[in-house]
Amino acid sequence: MNIEQTLQTAEKILAPWNKDTLRPESNRMDMVVQTDELRAATNALHDAHWGYLSAITGLDLGVESGQLEALYHFCSGPVVVSLRVRVPRENTYLPSIADILPPATFFERELSETLGFKIEGLDESDRLFIPDDWPSDVYPLRSDFAVEQAAPVSGSRIDEIPEQGMLTGNTFVIPIGPQHPALKEPGHFQFTVDGEIVTGAKMRLGYAHRGIEKAAESRSWYQNLYLFERVCGICSHTHAMAYCMGVEKLAQVEAPPRAHAIRELVAGLERIHSHLLWLGVAAHEAGFDTLFMYSWRDRETVMNLLEQVTGNRVNYSANVLGGVKCEVGPEQAAKIKEGLDYLETRIRHYLEVVTTDAMFLNRTRGIGTITAAEAEKFGLLGPTARASGLMRDIRIEAPYGAYVRYPVSLVTRTNGDLEARCEVRLEELLVSCFAIRAILDNMPEGPLTARMPRKIPAGETIARVEAPRGELLYFIKSNGGETPARIHVRTPSLCNWVSVLEKAVGRQLADVPMLIAGMDPCFSCNDRVVTVLRTDKKEAWSWKQLREYGIEYYRR
Amino acid sequence: MTANSPQLWQQVIDKVRTWARLNSIWAVHFNSGSCNGCDIEILATLTPRYDVERLGVKLYGSPRHADVLIVTGPVTRQARERLIRTYEQMPEPKFVVSVGSCSISGGVFDGCYNVGGSVDEVIPVDVYIPGCPPRPEAIIDGIIQLLKDLQGGKPRSAVRPNVAAELPS
Ligand code: SF4
Repeated sequence: MNIEQTLQTAEKILAPWNKDTLRPESNRMDMVVQTDELRAATNALHDAHWGYLSAITGLDLGVESGQLEALYHFCSGPVVVSLRVRVPRENTYLPSIADILPPATFFERELSETLGFKIEGLDESDRLFIPDDWPSDVYPLRSDFAVEQAAPVSGSRIDEIPEQGMLTGNTFVIPIGPQHPALKEPGHFQFTVDGEIVTGAKMRLGYAHRGIEKAAESRSWYQNLYLFERVCGICSHTHAMAYCMGVEKLAQVEAPPRAHAIRELVAGLERIHSHLLWLGVAAHEAGFDTLFMYSWRDRETVMNLLEQVTGNRVNYSANVLGGVKCEVGPEQAAKIKEGLDYLETRIRHYLEVVTTDAMFLNRTRGIGTITAAEAEKFGLLGPTARASGLMRDIRIEAPYGAYVRYPVSLVTRTNGDLEARCEVRLEELLVSCFAIRAILDNMPEGPLTARMPRKIPAGETIARVEAPRGELLYFIKSNGGETPARIHVRTPSLCNWVSVLEKAVGRQLADVPMLIAGMDPCFSCNDRVVTVLRTDKKEAWSWKQLREYGIEYYRR
Repeated sequence: MTANSPQLWQQVIDKVRTWARLNSIWAVHFNSGSCNGCDIEILATLTPRYDVERLGVKLYGSPRHADVLIVTGPVTRQARERLIRTYEQMPEPKFVVSVGSCSISGGVFDGCYNVGGSVDEVIPVDVYIPGCPPRPEAIIDGIIQLLKDLQGGKPRSAVRPNVAAELPS
């Protein structure tokens, strides 16, 4: 189906609730729906199996207009259909759609905490992103927000481990974190266990919530590039790339082909570094430290290449608005190819290790299995989704930039367990190596940058890019000024968390470290503090102990 | 000073302690809101190419066994109290290494509503390692600086405020 047909199908499905249709871009359609009809419209899309919910963006339309707006972005291939719901500031009630689409859980919470939407059935005292001592009724992303309003509420405590209601019978709650591998945030989890079996899981983010989206509104388009690069230090290039692509679209500037090729090249190298990093971490969690050391040793090869091309090992700043700032000459191309030769043999070796090593398979085969139907339901993205047989890869579904000219092939598995996730990630690297070679062999000639205006014309756009962990979505709105009006970032890990929480339930506690590592949340720190509460005594466990417990458990 | 005077013994013990500490620094890492950039570079220093373990440095999970606290990232509101608590849990003598521009000054995140600012506004810092992120070589250099200071018995310049007083009881 082409873009037009897909859009028409969506329009037909949504016709009964559609109040107004806008076509901001050729692949996008915005539909205004009424608050009380949102659920019906969502249901219709869901029942017709049209796309998946990719993000919910909240907008403050300004004090004068007296309205807030929520945009529900549904994606299907390259097409994005956004349901726009407006609510008055005095009554910001929104119905919840989390029961229809579980991924909405976190999105709705974000809306409620940052913009003050009152989501039906949501407990507001239970926060996910903003700090515990944040005053209620102050919302950071509102246009009239001032930092002074957010003074800590006296008497409130941060980070309290809830004591009541957790020590009943054989169940106890195990809080893990906040110092724990997480997306861009160190997360805090509470697992309820009955004996060895996990019976409930809860999570708290926001330890690394810095307020980037708000800060972006007061910085210039150029400054923001460096800010968004630092949303995540592991996939910084993809963040910068999504931002640049979005802004370029708004400014109607097309980056030169050579710039696109170099962007894809750096993205490919970044994927290699990211997945090798992940492999090491997963191996470490499984107690296979030899593999951890080997994969990180080999990762240094790709770090060298990245440094050669961009001048930095992490946060490379290869992008500028309108193009890239680093050139890849013949000498560098030769070096990159040499590096790839080595990496390819190593990746093949790792692929063999993760599929044949009995000890490792013990921890991965058949563990944390997610079926395709479940993956669809949880709204999984990236390699985690592809390991369950879902064809979800923006580079293929909606090729952007140089991916049109140098396509990558899709890697999927159907088992959906941890082993499949290892395989998908490693095989993807071979695909990336292949694509990088193709780029180096036929690099288009020409300039590296196009001219960009200082002010970006008014408008809204959505940029979607495949990051190593899955689809990254940027919603960018400009009012025509020197600073953006709103930038909303939806990172792939946020979508994937739901699956960890659901999958942990019913599993052995010993599997939890692997389950968390298996979805590859941005790895933020090595070891963290964990407290285990037992029925009568308080016992402190570190993440290390939990990991060792897991390893010990599987020795038996 | 006779051979069994207590001061002499104290001196000997101190020497042995410093020697032992210099050769086996245990560090705990705390992410107070970083972008992960610094964290992966710290991890890279442990892996074969840089291998800080050859200097006796070991990253350890529990603050209670650690000599050095490595902090990355600007201090966010939610993480601040945890940072103080982690610092408090470490046994004396303890040292703090602040890694990355944003842990030193807030860096790019300076002015964000949820960011309190630098690490040294919250706990005393002994070594600053700038860079965004600093290279593993720079991190190793920072650790060597710390070791040198310890060896020379240089007093740490920062005045330790009573951080415990800030914790809600
Ligand atoms: S200093 Fe730079 S790389 Fe390090 S955590 Fe801060 S923003 Fe990230």
